[in-house]
Amino acid sequence: MSYYFAIIGTQDNPLFEYEFGTSKQGGDGQPRFSEQARHLNQFILHSSLDIVEEVQWTSNQLYLKAIDKFFNNYISCFLTAGNTKFLLLHQPTGGGAAAAAAGGNSSSTRSSTSIGANPTSAATEEAVKNFMGEVYENYVKATMSPFYKVNMEIKSPVFRARVAAAGRKYL
Amino acid sequence: MQPLEDAPLTEPVQSLPMAAAMRLPRQRQSLPGGDSSHPLDASLHSLPLRERRANPSAASLFRSTLTPPGSRSASPAPSLSLGTRSPSRAAMSGSVFGGGGFKQSLLDTGAADSPGDPLNLILKSFVPHIAIHGSQDVNDLVAEKGFAGGLWELLRPFGERVQGKVAIRDSNGGSRTWEDFSVRFTRFGEGIEDSEPVAGGMRSPPLMAVNGQAGGIPKGPGGRPNLIAQVERVVDRHLNYAEDAYMGITSPTTPTRHSLDLDATSPYYALYLRRLLSGIPLSSHESFAHPVACVMAISSRNPSPIEALRRLYTETSSGEHRLPQWVDGDYLRYYVLVHDEERSDITKSMALFDQMKRHFGLHCHLLRIRSSESAETDDDSIPLPRSDWMTAAEELADIEKSESQEDFEDPTRHIFESDATAIRTFIREMVIQSVIPTMERNISVWNDQVASRRRGISGRFMSLSKRWTFGSSSRSSSGVGGSTNYDALGFYRPDTPEAIMRRLADFAFMLRDWKLAMSTYDLLRTDFQNDKAWKYHAAANEMAALSLLIMPQNMSSKTRIETINQMLEQAFYSYHIRCQSLYGAIRCTVLALELLRLRGGSGIDEAVRWGIRVLEARLMGPVGDALLKERMAICYASKQGTGSQAWGSRKRKSALWSVLGAEAWIAQSKFIQAQRCLNEARKMYSLLPGECGVQNFAVASDFLAHLNDQLKEGLRIEIPTRDDETDDGDEEPELLMDEESETLDRRRARRTSLIISSGGGGAASLETAPLTPLAPARLSAVEDEGDVASSRQDGFG
Repeated sequence: MSYYFAIIGTQDNPLFEYEFGTSKQGGDGQPRFSEQARHLNQFILHSSLDIVEEVQWTSNQLYLKAIDKFFNNYISCFLTAGNTKFLLLHQPTGGGAAAAAAGGNSSSTRSSTSIGANPTSAATEEAVKNFMGEVYENYVKATMSPFYKVNMEIKSPVFRARVAAAGRKYL
Repeated sequence: MQPLEDAPLTEPVQSLPMAAAMRLPRQRQSLPGGDSSHPLDASLHSLPLRERRANPSAASLFRSTLTPPGSRSASPAPSLSLGTRSPSRAAMSGSVFGGGGFKQSLLDTGAADSPGDPLNLILKSFVPHIAIHGSQDVNDLVAEKGFAGGLWELLRPFGERVQGKVAIRDSNGGSRTWEDFSVRFTRFGEGIEDSEPVAGGMRSPPLMAVNGQAGGIPKGPGGRPNLIAQVERVVDRHLNYAEDAYMGITSPTTPTRHSLDLDATSPYYALYLRRLLSGIPLSSHESFAHPVACVMAISSRNPSPIEALRRLYTETSSGEHRLPQWVDGDYLRYYVLVHDEERSDITKSMALFDQMKRHFGLHCHLLRIRSSESAETDDDSIPLPRSDWMTAAEELADIEKSESQEDFEDPTRHIFESDATAIRTFIREMVIQSVIPTMERNISVWNDQVASRRRGISGRFMSLSKRWTFGSSSRSSSGVGGSTNYDALGFYRPDTPEAIMRRLADFAFMLRDWKLAMSTYDLLRTDFQNDKAWKYHAAANEMAALSLLIMPQNMSSKTRIETINQMLEQAFYSYHIRCQSLYGAIRCTVLALELLRLRGGSGIDEAVRWGIRVLEARLMGPVGDALLKERMAICYASKQGTGSQAWGSRKRKSALWSVLGAEAWIAQSKFIQAQRCLNEARKMYSLLPGECGVQNFAVASDFLAHLNDQLKEGLRIEIPTRDDETDDGDEEPELLMDEESETLDRRRARRTSLIISSGGGGAASLETAPLTPLAPARLSAVEDEGDVASSRQDGFG
């Protein structure tokens, strides 16, 4: 399971991007995206904004759950009050045999019961929700900085570290 | 250049001054020997050079894609009635924005009128098939007119549009007239699918063995993919031809289009669909290709006409030429006497015709045509259009012939106006007075005698009891035994209720009585499932879904989509996994995709979901894949948003698919298509509220720029291989590109700044990508100095 997390501003501009892998079930926390998936991830995430704009009107929650699927990639969304979107793209490792082989460890076989294996399961939704919640807290704290303006890129290393920690903790 | 000039092009090209096109290739000087050093040169050399000299007459082979079938200006089709479907807030069931529009039949939306539209293609492909069986003397007569293929070849183009209105009664007695009814002429006994109707897997092994012995070598999936491969190759040829003909003109037809044209299907996609559908094989699990009628033709030259007709009849009903036993032999026989106006005596022919009528009843016609060949210069000659519905194999053969022969002659034939009129009258009379009444009669008889019995309460019980009493035993004994009509033979005999009902449903579908078709297919679905006749099951599900999509409904869009999805799911699974029928799987999903798209609203999301299924299963070849990606972009683009923010539209998704399409085309060196896709993506991104698309995403916009560079290079390389006639040129392509891509430049500027700031993620791909727009120019400059000499040797200078 690999994750690509991005915070998207109101002008479709990414404020923060972070790639990581699962830390559960013996995962090493490294993303296993193939080289060509790099740009594709961004395209996919960007295109999911269409769905976000539609789904946001159906729910009272800020967390919109898994809203979109593109081939093997699932996208979860968390909407903040300021119309900034947290998008998390998750890609199960089973998607490509090559990717699993490149991973090299046996985690892919064991992780079949983990949250990563089934991106739409309730357990996964819960985990992603927790992750989003924690990131949101940190995001609010980071953007309360007096030097931060709307739609500015978040460069704070502390924030990055905290997102990474949340990723390790929940995903 | 000839093909360009004589082929009527679409509006965009006309708006592009020809002069501009003529002075393109500055790069020919600046990059003279470049093709020897460039990695892409091998493929480019092998492809277009020989076609370069391809004579202008070959252009007619590719007319179907050079001019989109039926120019758009001619069809006043309301723009897909997107306006009427503009999301009503009330119907927010399926997707949040835009649910409704399902109350009317798709046929009323006007999409059916434009020739290239997939709905129109569907209507025109599932039409009554009429087999033609002529005696030798008829074929001789027609051959004198220049048609080597016999009467079939002469008649075929006329069947594509039956003149005038055709009134059809539906099962309730209501009558509806259609302007665009068509029939398909086939040669008798052609296009028969291998008689092995089930592809392994679900059958019990002993039966398989028996079948293997009886039916010869079961080709298995070998037969089907061929068709797909042929379709791919035909479309590929067309693409190459376009690439070649427009070589160097950086803005051929499509790219200059200012918006994603939702109404006009890409000619290549339309061609793909058309070729896919034109070869519906004569197979046991569906009866679309089974002849509804058979034309038996003799000519007035025949010494013993009545005997000849009798012999033709016996040939179709018995003997080695008869159709396989799963085809109902009881189709209509239509007897035609072809009178030679120039060499035969009309009074004799009239007498003979009267005699025929006495012998064979009313289904006779006297067709009076001239036997000499019409030349183009004759006063009253008209060109006979090439058939739109030739099969992929035929077209491929034509194209290959045009390439292999130096003096390939224009395949367009001419016939006399009077002949054309006679044939039109003949076909109209046959269709209106014989074929349709026969079909209507069959429908009502079968409906009364077979289907309605099944629809009643007792029918339900019957099938239930059958299932429970026999079903349990047959399930345990792995399906062997006479419990069903299917197991013993591996197909349904034409006289079994299942086969009759299938024919009933197909007839109803052909006559556009969707409701009857739908209800009958629905009955059949369960029957076939109980019998484990998977291919039948798949086909019934497929057609049930299609007719459900076409007909007007009162169901809420949510339940409807669920029902349809279920049917499609079963059809897809049965075709693909159980029967390994690629053709069936592709046909079913692609057609469903198109109809779902026309339904709009949440149907569009479903449509794309099905498209992804096809891509995931890797059913198509590279050309089909790229076309499908392009199509998905159009699917998403046709979803309208609500309000000033256009919420609920899918512009970003559409752009994503355009980019994917461009990537796929570039991988195949089809730069014109790629350019078109990229332009559409750009257009879509610029329509976004922020107008910035993905440009803030470093890696993604790098990729976009990379694609663009590849594209530029691709278009540039092609120029040196261009003909020498178009010398006087300077840097038009460059210029056009730049004009078009203002936004891109803007983006590029920002991109570079972003790269500097972000670094990291982008670095990997940056190393490989030609980074700045300057890079190619530098390259060409270097080569300019270095390769002048070699270019002289190459003979390109």
